[in-house]
This record gives sequence, C-alpha cells and structure tokens, in this order.
Amino acid sequence: MTCAEFQKVLPYIIETGGIAEQEEHLRTCSTCSDLVADLKYIAECAKLLVPMVEPSPRVWNEISKSLEQEGLVRKATPRGRLLEPTHASRWGPAAWIGSAAILLLILGGLFIHRAHSNRTEDASLTPAAQPARSGLSFQGMNDSADQQVLEQVQTNTPSLHDTYQTNLQRVNSYIADASKSVEQNPDDADAQQHLRDAYEQKAMLYDMATTRSLP
Amino acid sequence: MTQAKKTLVPGLSEAEAIDRAKRGDAESFEALYGLHKRRVYSLCLRMTGNTAEAEDLTQEAFLQLYRKIATFRGESAFSTWLHRLAVNVVLMHLRKKGLPEVSLEESMEPQEDGPKKDIGARDNVLAGSIDRVNLERAIESLPPGYRIIFVLHDIEGYEHNEIAEMMGCSIGNSKSQLHKARMKLRDLLKMTRAEKASRQ
Repeated sequence: MTCAEFQKVLPYIIETGGIAEQEEHLRTCSTCSDLVADLKYIAECAKLLVPMVEPSPRVWNEISKSLEQEGLVRKATPRGRLLEPTHASRWGPAAWIGSAAILLLILGGLFIHRAHSNRTEDASLTPAAQPARSGLSFQGMNDSADQQVLEQVQTNTPSLHDTYQTNLQRVNSYIADASKSVEQNPDDADAQQHLRDAYEQKAMLYDMATTRSLP
Repeated sequence: MTQAKKTLVPGLSEAEAIDRAKRGDAESFEALYGLHKRRVYSLCLRMTGNTAEAEDLTQEAFLQLYRKIATFRGESAFSTWLHRLAVNVVLMHLRKKGLPEVSLEESMEPQEDGPKKDIGARDNVLAGSIDRVNLERAIESLPPGYRIIFVLHDIEGYEHNEIAEMMGCSIGNSKSQLHKARMKLRDLLKMTRAEKASRQ
C-alpha cells in the first residue's frame, strides 16, 4: 500500500482503525504514522480547550429586557427571594477563599507585568521563580489554595468534588500554557489576555466552589 | 433585573433552578445564564469567529431556551439540551448568511495536500509543542466550513452522525471536512512553530 492510498482513506479510518493492510502501512511508514500522530494530537488538544471567554454584560441586559417584555419572568417577592447576602461566618474557614480568588487575579497581572519588564533581564523567568522578585510564593499558594477549595467542596457538596478537581486541573494546565506563552512573548497582547482569562476562570471556580452548589 | 453575578442560596441544585425558571422565576433564569453563558458564548464565537455575532447568537440561544424551557423534560442533561439548541441557532444564522457549511459536492475526493515525504524528519511531529493560545488562533483562521466541523467534533464532542444530521450532509462529508480542518491546522501550527524558531 502506498502513502497516497493510505492517506486517501485516512479520514474514514483514523478514529475506528483500518483493515490489516492499512494498519500494516501505518506501522511501517514513518511519514504516515507522524501524520496520524499529529492529527490525533491536535484532536486531543482541542478537547482540552476550556471555554474561557465571557459575553459582555450587554448580552444579559438584552436578555432580561426581552424576558420582561415577553412576560416570561416574574420578579421574586421578598418572601420568596432566592438571593441572600453571604456572610463570612457561614462559611467559616472558606471565607478567605474569595480573597484568594482576587489575589490570583492580581498575581496574574503581576506575572504579565514582570514578564514584560524583565524580558531582557531573564528570558527564563517562570512563576516558580517569582518569589525571588515579588516575595510571594506563587506555586505554593496555588497548590495550597486549590487543596483548601477541594476540601471545602468535599465538605459541602461531595458529589461535586471530582468535577471541581478535574476543572481545577484543566485551568491550572491552561494557566501554565498561557504563562509560558507570555514568558516567550511578553508583548503579545493575545497571550496576555489568555493568561488573564485563565486566572479569571480560576477565580470564578473558587467563587463557585464556595458560594454555589450548582454543578 | 438584577446583575447576573449575584450569588445563589447554597443548596439550590440545577434541577431546582430549572423548575423555578419554568415558573418564571427571574433569579433562576439568571442562575442558569450564569452557569452556561461561557460555554454557549465560546461555542458561538468559535463557530462564527466574530464577537458581535457571537454575542447576538448567545442572546438568541438563551432567549429560545427560556421560551422553550417548559418543554424540557429531563430526558437528556440540561446542558446537552441547551448546547444543541445553541448549535442550531448558530447553524440557522450561518445558513441565512449563505456561508458554506459543508460542501455537498465533496465526498471521497483524494487529498489535495498530502504531507511531503520527509524522510527521517521525526522531529517535525507536533506532539508536545502545541500551546492553547496558538491552537485557538489557528482555529480562528480556519475557513468557516472547516472550522464549524472541527468545533462541533473535536471541541464540542459531537459524533459524525449527529453532525451529519445537523448540517444536512453525509457522514462521509463530515469526516472528510474534519480531516481537512485538522490538516489545515497542522500546517498552520507547524508554520507558527517554524516562525517562532526562526525568531530565536
């Protein structure tokens, strides 16, 4: 079997596998096996693309206007109010997690700023190296805060623990990737925005973990 | 109506929020919006490549959701139901615009751009070298037809038979378009990597 013959049927066999002759070609041909490896790798990376962007507040404003105009909603009466102020005392030790979420956003901004200003000084600056400059133990705070959040979820809504753990792993991976992009290209506005989005996503995960029970 | 980011009463499950939203409860609508807006908007943005359009389509998807929420019976997960609704909203919009979704003429055509036979060039494989920023950029620059299929299959997880049904094409077309999308992405990502290497 030639490479051209193999690649002609590749779209239809890449996920399910081919007949013996096709599999044998794949096993013995480095060009085609590299191609298949690349295509599968792209597909795997795509699965990890977490929704990071949010619509502007305008979207909700327009939706809520339409809902009222169409008579689809009724406003809650004071007796039936769903919203209650959250009090730090209700959550006890978890009260600090909201502050940790804000601190994450600040650290994200600091990282971008440092990567940009230190570009000519130290091209290999990593988040783990931050403590020498900023006095903050970034990585340590990251792991410790994640653990606290997961413990809180385990206590309040154990059924959601695995979901939060997976989401935290994904967003940490995204932060690592985005940080690396910013390090390599400190002037890249897109990379900076992705990093900010990643931190914001993590901050929202923290917020959800401590204030919601919704999956 | 109140800001979408207000906190909810702990212990309110999604099922309860849906139930209350069916009865017209305003805060429950907000809760559901807050929970799902990112995923719906990301889907719309990736499929259209345009933020203004994506916001309009997100708005339309949620409005349709709220109009139809009374019909949600729980046979599938709510997020699945909403997601499918959002996909349909985007596809309808693209059809109205006359954008090519999937070419109905393309079926078992041969590869146009087969990879060059780089002998001994195993270091050209992509494994381990893709970062999400570059992948997102590459996806944005795909032609619309390729991008839609790629987003639906590889990012959103729809199967080819589902895509074929949604897009009105054959399963073979769906597979072919997906393959072309991935090939195009491969080229784009390799170019990006080569440019980066030449700058260093």
